[in-house]
Amino acid sequence: MASVTYDHVTKRFGDVTAVSDLDIEVEDQEFLVFVGPSGCGKSTSLRMLAGLEEITEGRILIGDRVVNNVAPKDRDIAMVFQSYALYPHMTVFDNMAFGLKLRKTPKEEIKRRVHEAARSLGIEDLLDRRPRQLSGGQRQRVAVGRAIVREPAVFLMDEPLSNLDAKLRVEARANISRLHLRLATTFIYVTHDQTEAMTMGSRICVLSAGVLMQLDSPQNLYDFPDNVFVAGFIGSPAMNFRRATVRQENGDMVVDTGDFQVVVPPAHARHFPEAIGKEVVFGIRPEDIHDPQYTPPGIHTAQVPAQVDVVEEMGNEKLVYLADSQREGLIPLVARFDPRTRPVVGNTVSIAFNMDNIHLFDATTEQALRVGRERTDV
Amino acid sequence: MASRTETLSAKPIEQTALDWREVIKFGALLALTLFWMIPFFSALITSFRTMNDINVNGFWSLPREITLDNFVSAWQRGNVNKYLLNSFIITLPSLVGMLFFSTPSAYALARFRFRLNRFFYFMFVAGTLLPFQVLMLPVFRLTNILGLYDTYWALIFFHTAFQLGFCTFVLRNFMRTVPEDILDAARVDGCNEFRIYWQIMLPLSLPALAALATLEFTWVFNDYLWAIILIKSDSLRPVTAGLATLQGQYITDWPVIVAGALIATLPTVIVFFALQRYFIQGLTLGSGK
Repeated sequence: MASVTYDHVTKRFGDVTAVSDLDIEVEDQEFLVFVGPSGCGKSTSLRMLAGLEEITEGRILIGDRVVNNVAPKDRDIAMVFQSYALYPHMTVFDNMAFGLKLRKTPKEEIKRRVHEAARSLGIEDLLDRRPRQLSGGQRQRVAVGRAIVREPAVFLMDEPLSNLDAKLRVEARANISRLHLRLATTFIYVTHDQTEAMTMGSRICVLSAGVLMQLDSPQNLYDFPDNVFVAGFIGSPAMNFRRATVRQENGDMVVDTGDFQVVVPPAHARHFPEAIGKEVVFGIRPEDIHDPQYTPPGIHTAQVPAQVDVVEEMGNEKLVYLADSQREGLIPLVARFDPRTRPVVGNTVSIAFNMDNIHLFDATTEQALRVGRERTDV
Repeated sequence: MASRTETLSAKPIEQTALDWREVIKFGALLALTLFWMIPFFSALITSFRTMNDINVNGFWSLPREITLDNFVSAWQRGNVNKYLLNSFIITLPSLVGMLFFSTPSAYALARFRFRLNRFFYFMFVAGTLLPFQVLMLPVFRLTNILGLYDTYWALIFFHTAFQLGFCTFVLRNFMRTVPEDILDAARVDGCNEFRIYWQIMLPLSLPALAALATLEFTWVFNDYLWAIILIKSDSLRPVTAGLATLQGQYITDWPVIVAGALIATLPTVIVFFALQRYFIQGLTLGSGK
């Protein structure tokens, strides 16, 4: 068990900066997730912690120890790889025991630990097999088992679920969360999948092009994104964005996108004291766009006309892609409608924005204009 | 192989009519194969004949009498037993030397990023491209200076050194196909670089090593040129050079020479079949997804 500190860590490959001035403190027993699109530096960050990549600038600490020049084997870490990286010429038992043997663990102890880990993962009857005789899901569990038996201070996982099919992935996700609770060890997990990040992480570190965009709890990332990138990355379907200007009209805050003008209720407007008169990016999540007929009670709405372009029936909801009815070539909006609505493709309908949950970002810096973090709608 | 392709290419419709194109193709291939095998068959037949029979009826006639004496006299009188032993004494250490030295250099060239990596790699490749005519005199003089001329060591050192380039080239390219993640996993598990080489890379390279060992065994075992350049004493001669001594200046006992040659090919055939089963492709299968 140990905390992990990235102290202004930078990684350059030649002229390319893969990770730029990463400054994070991971607490003991925390489940931290690095998430971001491919090439954002999340794997590199993990590999630097593992000792598989050199650190160009800055320091990495595990516990109180600076590990910049410590070999991977002496860092007290275990890692699960995306490709699992099992040793093909060894049995499952030997795969799991390999690290312990290298550490001169007594034979009996090795046996005990391997069997214990195998039992907890449900792979005890596979111990004599070789990796090529296993299914993808089994291999994934062996890879996890190989890490568990080591009883490391920090677990590193590099997209360990991305090679599983959708159903197995959901199962394995829950298993890893359970494992984290049971082992009470620091986990650092890399994924490009925001669902994995949201469901597993106690905190999530969103990276883009090697830069830390936001580090926060899943709910805070969702409710209070610091910038346009995080707002667009977290949530599926993604948040809708429009360029707009903000002005004051009769004491109300009005957001004007050129196509429509909506009034921000005073209770929410007070979160954006600096917004008046600014060029902004107006953001609204799909679930905050309603069919006026099925608007939840107690919210402040603003109605806007829009043309139904495509409807996706999801069963529990309808994803409605809206094009603006007046002009073509505009960024369409996506809305999650109540399943009872009957949108007809081609029709112009009225849609209701939940104005209590809108987001405003500075158009040039793309940073959130929001001050304070209490939700308006509760 | 043939039966295998048949089972793989399932034919939906049963064929009743003879496919003449298939017949012609088969006939042509069979004829080519037989043509290619003529020297072997003639050698095989000759080895069972007596010199007398050949003198009377000529080479290209059916044998009148069949005898195994040629093999016996090649083995004993022709010294093939001694020559064969020499061949093994030269070939096996050469083989061990080649693989022993080329695997670590191949691992380093395949996996380490360092200045001049490319340069060294090309040097290994370039070395194998040197024509032997260029090497003959320098190697001969070098072995003289080192006092190795006319010893087993001359051939062992030469073969080891000269084949090192090719072995390194083959193994380096094979080792590059081993997924980097496996090596990283070993690093995290607690291996130093030597242990990764020894416990991970070498076992995973077995198919390549087996193929290489077969190939190199054949080359070194069948080498004639360097055997006559670097060895003078009859007692040290490998079988290739030894067989040549059976050829007299005026009279040559062909059946005995051919019998000796057939005996000499046996080891390479045995090695080939013994190591063939290690040519399993995709030993790394199963490590990943």
